Amino acid sequence: MKFKKFSALLLATVMVAGTVAGCGSSSSDSSADSSSDAAAEESTDAAEEDAATEETADAGDASFDGVTITLLKDTDIVDDGINAVIEAANEKLGIEVEVEQRVGGADGDNIVKTRLASGDMADICLYNSGSLLQALNPSEYFQDLSNEEFVSKYDETYKSTVTVDGVTYGVPVSSSQAGAILYYKPDYEELGLEVPKTWDEFIANCDALQAAGKTAMIGTFGDSWTSQVMYLGDNYNVLSAEPDFAEKFEAGEAKYATTPAGVESFQKLSDVQKYYNEDYLAATYDDGCDMIANGEGTHWVILTQALSNIYSLYPEAMEDVGVFAIPGDNADDNGLTVWMPSSLYVNKNAENMDAVLAFMDFWVSDEGLDAYASAVLPDGPYCIQGYELPDNAYPAVKDDMQAYFDAGKTNVALEFLTAVKGSNCPAICQECGSGQTTAEEAAAAYDEDCKKQAVQLGLDWK
Amino acid sequence: MNKKKIYSTWFIVPSLAIFTIFFLIPLLTSLFYSLTVWDFKTFRFVGLDNFKMFFSEKSLSGSVVNTLIYAVLTSGLKVIFAFFIAVFLTSKIRTKNFLRSVVFFPNLVSTIAVGITFAALMHPTKGLFNLAIQAIGLSGVDWLGNVHVALYSVIFTDIWKGVGVATVIYIAGIQSIDKTYYEAASIDGANGWQRLVNVTVPLVRPAMNSVIILSLIGGLRTFDLIWAMTGGGPGFATDVVASVVYKQYAAGFYGLSTAGNVIMFILIAVIAFPLQKFLLSREED
Repeated sequence: MKFKKFSALLLATVMVAGTVAGCGSSSSDSSADSSSDAAAEESTDAAEEDAATEETADAGDASFDGVTITLLKDTDIVDDGINAVIEAANEKLGIEVEVEQRVGGADGDNIVKTRLASGDMADICLYNSGSLLQALNPSEYFQDLSNEEFVSKYDETYKSTVTVDGVTYGVPVSSSQAGAILYYKPDYEELGLEVPKTWDEFIANCDALQAAGKTAMIGTFGDSWTSQVMYLGDNYNVLSAEPDFAEKFEAGEAKYATTPAGVESFQKLSDVQKYYNEDYLAATYDDGCDMIANGEGTHWVILTQALSNIYSLYPEAMEDVGVFAIPGDNADDNGLTVWMPSSLYVNKNAENMDAVLAFMDFWVSDEGLDAYASAVLPDGPYCIQGYELPDNAYPAVKDDMQAYFDAGKTNVALEFLTAVKGSNCPAICQECGSGQTTAEEAAAAYDEDCKKQAVQLGLDWK
Repeated sequence: MNKKKIYSTWFIVPSLAIFTIFFLIPLLTSLFYSLTVWDFKTFRFVGLDNFKMFFSEKSLSGSVVNTLIYAVLTSGLKVIFAFFIAVFLTSKIRTKNFLRSVVFFPNLVSTIAVGITFAALMHPTKGLFNLAIQAIGLSGVDWLGNVHVALYSVIFTDIWKGVGVATVIYIAGIQSIDKTYYEAASIDGANGWQRLVNVTVPLVRPAMNSVIILSLIGGLRTFDLIWAMTGGGPGFATDVVASVVYKQYAAGFYGLSTAGNVIMFILIAVIAFPLQKFLLSREED
């Protein structure tokens, strides 16, 4: 009897041990890793920071032969520029950079958040600036760059978008860009159209194009994020009607649904529905690049980063593609909504912190910027003070966009002014832009959607 | 006697431990976190606010309705289609084995691959479906772009993919029916249809119940096919609870997305348990 009891106990223990070992091996590994990492990091952090500041001061001489660091980026950003900088950095500093790719959009957000939470992030993470960065809880995961020398070169507006609670985290990955309307110039010349200064003129142009048998608007709702550019890119017009909209919105005092200029942003989405290409709900961002470069559609509301995508596919088409801002009601106050670039963030637990910081320093040095610009031309002005647009910049940037900057007619998108951005923005814009909802309904739905973010951030919204 | 009891109890320990670690503890923690706003590190207790938000916001509550439509339709149609396919495949036909494999094949392909393939087939201008429809002179349908059609296009794909498993269950059920029942029915003068309705249908009921329960629960939990084909769009037209939960998680609303999971759990439990009971009671009659 005793033997039986003992053997049963033994059997039970073995079974439990077996299953736990079998099921939990990978998870226990990684948790052990991250906890020991965290502990190690605590102790070495201080030492490393000192070392790092010393090293970066004379980064020119520092050599990191054989050091490999990792960088996680999304596939929507053109590889050429990043690879060029990596190559240059390898030559100068000896650092090897391993690039990992991830998807963009909501799936990409998920990857970033999961990898951060599980302590599995690459040394450098490429992610949005502005409200989306704040939602990541950066102080938990990212290295404080406030005291790095290169931060002083930042453009102030950019700096504010990568600064959370007074701490600066980001390094601008590329130039700034705009949310605007790309247009196919030959169509405009053919029909003798003028670049519109007001929304009514724009609609008149669309009518004329449609009458001429052209696809006046390109819709690429297959990639749902593209549907929101019209609404987001209209922020200049919202802010010129309500200069303090951003602060009031964050405070919960101003709502889109009750702000006429805000409703109008959504109205613009509804207005253009009848001009879209037939397959606008299925067409993707890549399709859009093809269409605008080949003149299969005349207008495309998109981020000007598309210029680089078009350039890498159709370098000869750049002369044909122009840019204008999403027009408002007032022809005299026609301005551009500017996007700050995504940024590179340094993982707090990076193994070779000094190498990573040296690489970051190189990224925004003149050499790094030159290397990037040699492969990918800017989609807008740079966020580094004193670094000018190159002479061979795309005409759309050098002529069309620069004019808005010269006239001081620019403002940044709302996501760089407040931490509140509705996560369902693409779907709400898709709904409105495909005629399922009216502009008023979409504006109200967006207000409701933002409330979730406000709750998460602990803001006191009604 | 007492000693014997202890002896057998020990055998429950391993499974109970696994059940506790991987089911009970996560269940209880998720019940707790669904009442909070949290960001992995800190949490703030907010009572039932997450649930209130889930049901008051149209984009979220609409997903519950879509989930029910999806589950009921996929389950119901699979039950019907698979039954007739199974009857056909157990009859005396020459290419039986080959056809059985063909019916089962879609189930071997990854759901994501099926979703991407069908999304391409259903493309409004370049898709094979519409090209075929246009070739016979009719105007094409915007399968995934039309908000009134999109959900049903995904349901169609789900049935195409899932009908194979249901068929296999049915085939097993039909084959286990004793041949003598059919012989007796034939001798009594029953024709083919009468044999089907009065012999096959009642005797295949256990298999049918498995198909109903499995496909209904599968439909309530569905995510991958929706995500691959529409991503919940256009707008929110094809959002189901699982895709909403995923999106809220992606947005960083961990409390809200946990609440969505709890809702999904309750929804499945509330539907599946009584249904199972009801079906079993009918089976015993």
